[in-house]
Amino acid sequence: MKTDSIRHGFLYVYLAALIVFVFAPIAANLVFSFNAARFPTLPLAGFTTHWYEAIFNDGRLVQGLKNSLMVSGATAFIATFLGFSAAYIDYRYRFFGRTAFLALVTLPPTIPVVILGLGMLSFQSSVGLLGTLPGIVTAHVVYCAPFALALTRMRLASLDPSVEPAAWNLGATQGSTMTSIIIPHCAPAILAAFFLTAAVSFDEFMIAYFISGFNQTLPVHVLTMLEGQVSPRVNAIGGVVFMFTIGMVVLAQVLMFGRRST
Amino acid sequence: MNRTKVVNSARLLRVIDALGARHETTPRFRQSRFALSWGAPPVLWQLAFFVGPLLLLVWISFWSVSNFRLTPDFVFDNWVHLLSSGSFTSAYAYSFKMALLTAIVVGALAVPAAYTIAFRTSQRVRLTLLLILIVPFFTSYPVRIYSWQSLLSPNGFINSLLEVVSLGPYLFLNNWFGTLIGLMTLTMPLVVIIQTLAFSAVDRRYVEAAYNLGCGRIKTFFTVLLPLAKIGLILSVTLAFVLAFGDFVSPTFLGGSRPPTLSILLTDQVQSGNHWPRASVVAVIMFVTLITVVLSMLALAYRNKWRNV
Amino acid sequence: MSNIVDKNGRPISRRRFLQGMGALAGTAVLSSSPFRSLHANDQVLNILTWPGHGDPFVVREFEEQYNCTVRTREYEGGEEMLAMVNQAPPGTYDVIMADAEYIEMLRDGDFIQQLDPSDYPLDDFWPEFQEFETHWVDGDLYSVMLRFGYIGMAYRTDVFDEAEVSSYSALWSNKGEGRVGFFDWYLPSMGCVSLYEGNQRPFDIDSAAFEAVKDRLLSLEPQTAGFRGMSGVFSMLTDGTATVIPGVGDWVAFLLQEDGVPVASSVPEEGGLQWTESLSIANGAQNPDLAKSFIQYMTSPEGQVKTARLPAYAASIPNRKGWELLNEEYPDAARSLRHTFDERNVIDEYRDGLISLRRLPVQQNIEQWNDAWTEFKSL
Repeated sequence: MKTDSIRHGFLYVYLAALIVFVFAPIAANLVFSFNAARFPTLPLAGFTTHWYEAIFNDGRLVQGLKNSLMVSGATAFIATFLGFSAAYIDYRYRFFGRTAFLALVTLPPTIPVVILGLGMLSFQSSVGLLGTLPGIVTAHVVYCAPFALALTRMRLASLDPSVEPAAWNLGATQGSTMTSIIIPHCAPAILAAFFLTAAVSFDEFMIAYFISGFNQTLPVHVLTMLEGQVSPRVNAIGGVVFMFTIGMVVLAQVLMFGRRST
Repeated sequence: MNRTKVVNSARLLRVIDALGARHETTPRFRQSRFALSWGAPPVLWQLAFFVGPLLLLVWISFWSVSNFRLTPDFVFDNWVHLLSSGSFTSAYAYSFKMALLTAIVVGALAVPAAYTIAFRTSQRVRLTLLLILIVPFFTSYPVRIYSWQSLLSPNGFINSLLEVVSLGPYLFLNNWFGTLIGLMTLTMPLVVIIQTLAFSAVDRRYVEAAYNLGCGRIKTFFTVLLPLAKIGLILSVTLAFVLAFGDFVSPTFLGGSRPPTLSILLTDQVQSGNHWPRASVVAVIMFVTLITVVLSMLALAYRNKWRNV
Repeated sequence: MSNIVDKNGRPISRRRFLQGMGALAGTAVLSSSPFRSLHANDQVLNILTWPGHGDPFVVREFEEQYNCTVRTREYEGGEEMLAMVNQAPPGTYDVIMADAEYIEMLRDGDFIQQLDPSDYPLDDFWPEFQEFETHWVDGDLYSVMLRFGYIGMAYRTDVFDEAEVSSYSALWSNKGEGRVGFFDWYLPSMGCVSLYEGNQRPFDIDSAAFEAVKDRLLSLEPQTAGFRGMSGVFSMLTDGTATVIPGVGDWVAFLLQEDGVPVASSVPEEGGLQWTESLSIANGAQNPDLAKSFIQYMTSPEGQVKTARLPAYAASIPNRKGWELLNEEYPDAARSLRHTFDERNVIDEYRDGLISLRRLPVQQNIEQWNDAWTEFKSL
């Protein structure tokens, strides 16, 4: 038993070390975002909120943030709807081509984003979507819908498959079963999917990098800044994005698991 | 109103009515219509905005570019040029090697952590830990890589620590090591989460049975747990491979494009030459490689399951 | 209930009628395209430029004066600029900032408008730059010089001393082993190697000389640290992963010096290159008058002083009145930028004859040079 607790101790230390590895760059980012010097080198040069002020005063960044919020909002709506639809179809029906259907809807995140980006670039320039915010939304929905599908499907798996037929037997139409049983049951997952897809879209940079023109989203701005200039403003942006996505994810968590007791 | 006008307006009204009416319908028809109205949107969307662009990519790979202008064509020049170019083959080999290395390293390193979260923590702590692991997944990846750049630099934090114990300074950037650290940053959280879920899904009774039959902890782990969680573990490693194979940010900012990966080659072709056809060739080859890898791994994962069915 | 019956003979109810109308209306909405790009209005100026030129530091006064917003789309490297003008529908950009050697290609592609020389303060420029050849095609003016700089090598002063960097051979020295960084663009880097090979006109070389340049480039392989974009060039020298970088110059050194990093730039005895950034008005520009005002502002003394001290990367300016203003308002910057009238300045260096204008490859096409660069990167 003693070897057991030594082993346990080792396992906990290992886990802690892994979490430190994963969070090291985030911590460094936060630290340097308050650093007074221009280059992120040690020793630290003093505390300042100058960089945060700079990014909120930079009109282009604020515009990028607005674009990101609009895109992620629109994406969340459409992706959640499509993800829900696909999850419901997968839950209820067994049909020929079901695997193909699933593959079609879940494949996008497994394709390297550089490929998706290039494909969207070529496609959108030929239909005139290139450089427009709706264009970015369509690409992001493709990429984010699988996440909504996964969350909704998981929630649907906990719904007894005999509930629906029971409702039909009692005279409910398919439509009213949907609105009074399925959707309320899935409500936490739908809300969680909304926030999750918003977060994924907000952070997505590579596809947007290829296809956005002047209407750049915030991550694209970050990437061009990282490539083109040295500026600690990048760190401040990282800090802001961190707060936002943490907020979204926590919200999703609370909604998914907060109602578990009901 | 004359009779023709009445008849025509009636016809129009019937059309409008048909659009919104619910006919006398069989349950079967209603079911199919319901299924179609829910199933059609996702399928149509994906076909239009996902499959369409990918097919277009394949077609563009046969186009030509002259003077930075893209012209529809049907030539094999782009394919010939890339497949016979040394820089393409070395980029391919390097991308494949790094993806494989990442998949193996991350897959192996994640296992003890996933095991700990799945079996050695309470429900509440487990959820909190999973949440903690989800966070980096959504915090700007390029900015995290930028942070690693400063942490790993010759006068950065890591080297300063090593200096305290009189080691180094080591060159962690602009080589495969920096790229690996970046790729690990990209894939680690996701792999740990998937493996944790895989371990959690294992029926505890098998483990308890093994203990009851006198198996030690370690032996149980290797002979009972791992095989039972096999599918999830293989899936996690496959996903790590896919993500690492296609990544652009780490090889550029931490690896110094030294040597370039396929993703860098692709982006270069688009940016520095407007050469979408060549970029498309790279994309198609990447895609085919990944599909092959994914399908093989899936076959490996589900092999026994299918056999037993 | 109406008297209209459906095909089953039942009267059409109001409810069903409304549903049908809703379906019709929905179809109508869906068929009209919601996909329109944001229309550029009078208040927006769209510029295609190298990174950093949209910085409020430079454009805020112009924006306030003309009540507009300046939006930039950034690129690194002339080929990327060409890719972007080729991809964009006409009217996307109002102003295009291009390197001087690309002006002819832009004109041939019909991307830029002809300019009227009397609109711009060309007479205030230094004589060498008043009739800058690549800006004139067939006797017409297509572009106005905004800023320029010299290219040689940038190096860490705590590793190399001045004598060692008086020749490009420093790149092959021990101190450079594994520490030679590269700005990931073939044109300036290969131009410097060509100068080292003794080519008087570094971009106008025959195929034998090109092969020699290529071999010399590939021989640098064991020395390379990495290939990075503009920001990477700065960080490589700052964090020490690179001790010397060819194909760059003052534009890197000045910024780092301001931050106390021990870096300097040098033009070796084999010669250096001049890069020149110039402004043109795009064909089909939505706001051509605003574009013209922008170019006039940037070439005026006030604009020149601003662009010389651009936060992203500093530069030299061609307007003599701009020099005067710079010496008045920022004498220290004028001294570091070597823009003073009483000491040796950048024009004296130009007159020394060591600087060749950077050009596009003449006897080979861009693709050949670019492919050589890609091969070098992949080694």
